[in-house]
Amino acid sequence: MHRNYIVFGRRWTAQWTFLVGMSLIIVFSLVPAVGILVISFTDIRSLPFLPTHWVGLDNYRTFFSSAQLAYNTKALKNTFEFAISVTLIQNVVALFIAVLLNQALKGRTFARAVVFLPTILGVTVIGLIFSLIFNPSGGPAEALWNLFGGSSAFFGDPGLAMALVIFVQVWAGIGVAVVIYLAGLQAIPQELYEVADLDGASRWQQLRQVTIPWLAPSVTANTLLSVIGSLQSYQLIYVLTGPSNPATQVLSLAIFTAAFGGGAGGSVASQGYAAAISIVQFVIVLVVALATLFYLRRRETAL
Amino acid sequence: MSTITVPPAGSAVAERPAPAHRPGGRLDSLRLLSYVLMVAVVLIYLYPIAYLVNTALKSDSEFIANPNGIVRHPMVSNFVTAWRQGNFGASVLNSVLYTAVAAGLGTVTSLMIAFPVARGYLKHSKLWAGLFAAMMFLPNTLVTLFQLALHLHLYDTRLGYMLILASGVGVGPLLITGYLGSIPREIDEAAAMDGAGYLRYLLTFLPTLLRPVLSTTFILQAIGVWNDIILATILFTDKSKFPVTLGLFAFKGTYVSQWSLLSAATLIVATPLLIVYVFLQRYLVASVVGGAVKG
Repeated sequence: MHRNYIVFGRRWTAQWTFLVGMSLIIVFSLVPAVGILVISFTDIRSLPFLPTHWVGLDNYRTFFSSAQLAYNTKALKNTFEFAISVTLIQNVVALFIAVLLNQALKGRTFARAVVFLPTILGVTVIGLIFSLIFNPSGGPAEALWNLFGGSSAFFGDPGLAMALVIFVQVWAGIGVAVVIYLAGLQAIPQELYEVADLDGASRWQQLRQVTIPWLAPSVTANTLLSVIGSLQSYQLIYVLTGPSNPATQVLSLAIFTAAFGGGAGGSVASQGYAAAISIVQFVIVLVVALATLFYLRRRETAL
Repeated sequence: MSTITVPPAGSAVAERPAPAHRPGGRLDSLRLLSYVLMVAVVLIYLYPIAYLVNTALKSDSEFIANPNGIVRHPMVSNFVTAWRQGNFGASVLNSVLYTAVAAGLGTVTSLMIAFPVARGYLKHSKLWAGLFAAMMFLPNTLVTLFQLALHLHLYDTRLGYMLILASGVGVGPLLITGYLGSIPREIDEAAAMDGAGYLRYLLTFLPTLLRPVLSTTFILQAIGVWNDIILATILFTDKSKFPVTLGLFAFKGTYVSQWSLLSAATLIVATPLLIVYVFLQRYLVASVVGGAVKG
């Protein structure tokens, strides 16, 4: 009924202010997004004076070619290892911390603030703190390792680097998940627990029958956020282990090194190729996110 | 876009009286366990920061001799050296400028595009609303952003960096559209009757009405801008334009394994954040939940 009815007289002002706002987003967000697909079919380079040619599907062929296959499979494997581990560990631990801090404990407000703190510290500060903690020549982690008679290069150890990066990512990112779970917990009507108590339900049964079904929407939100975030994240890995450490090379960093150098994949060194990796990554994120959403929504209704 | 039923942002941090705990002896030991676990969680977060402070106060020789002990001869000179060598004054100022401008411009942009769409003052409003949701989900555009900056002569300029970051409005337009649903259309009409034009309404009346959601939008974008290091890496060559993330990272590259100095530098960067956090903590937390749940 109110459709297209405007109370402010002429529609023109609404239109041009909208256009001004949209033009910023179109020029600096949407054009680059569509442009990625376009230039993934070219051999564009980082130097502006070199000629650019259409190369069809060559960049995609290169991505799946035998020369690049080992490197790219490794990057894919790392990406999934990172994303799945971060998503699972972060959600389970965050739920645990949220349930813990939802009790009437003295100091819980402080504890919540502390867990959320890394969100504002930023990746470089966090990266440096953990480079210091996992300093192989005399950090506290080294001292702990020594107690058990071992020694390790930590981020320099290809067998350990990924696990440590996952740990730091969870440490840094869990605050947001905890706060979302806390919000979900506080939305559960307390009467449900009282009724369950009267029925003689054990704590475990209450958790299973009341808490978990009511938290399902928060689980969906948290899982999606960490799946999408961790499949595309690279800032923290970049700071902790650099752009081209094979043990922690994820797709986002493969894009970075292909486009801007500094990596083992640099033999191709074309930004068209980097764009093709971006598209491959985009498709993966899209498929995984939709599948996750679909699965979790079905679980939500089943609970 | 998704309809997740979590309470509105404000109530996320509201202290609700905790459930009355059922009496019984077993629960007392359970409470004790809860306290132990809570202290453990807090220590996992505070120990790394305490270790950083401890290291920042040590001389190089003391750190090498005894990296894990508590500092015996505190040296404040590390901070002076780090401040001078790292030029952190400039990079902190850069970051403050980038964050304020990019997040500010992004928030105004979000408002300018979200309001007419939410009210149906444009044709195809539904279509635009769909675009806002799709905008949350874009491929990695590092390569095209680099090429765009190059061709628009915005490479290695503060303006280019800020415009690109400002355009990353993320969940902002969706949040504002959602919040406008709770602002009655009659208020628009009343303002129009009193002779307020669209522009005046948009830029002076609405910011007051929408203050909670606009600050959420601003804070969410500000956190993203403050944390950026990759875009700064590919767009800037001039060190005097580095944001503090990149400045600190470059400092690390120069002073490899001078841990005391590095720790002092890290603390210089972290301290203003910690101070801001102490004051804005509830606000920040509420904003992040509000934004995250919508996404």
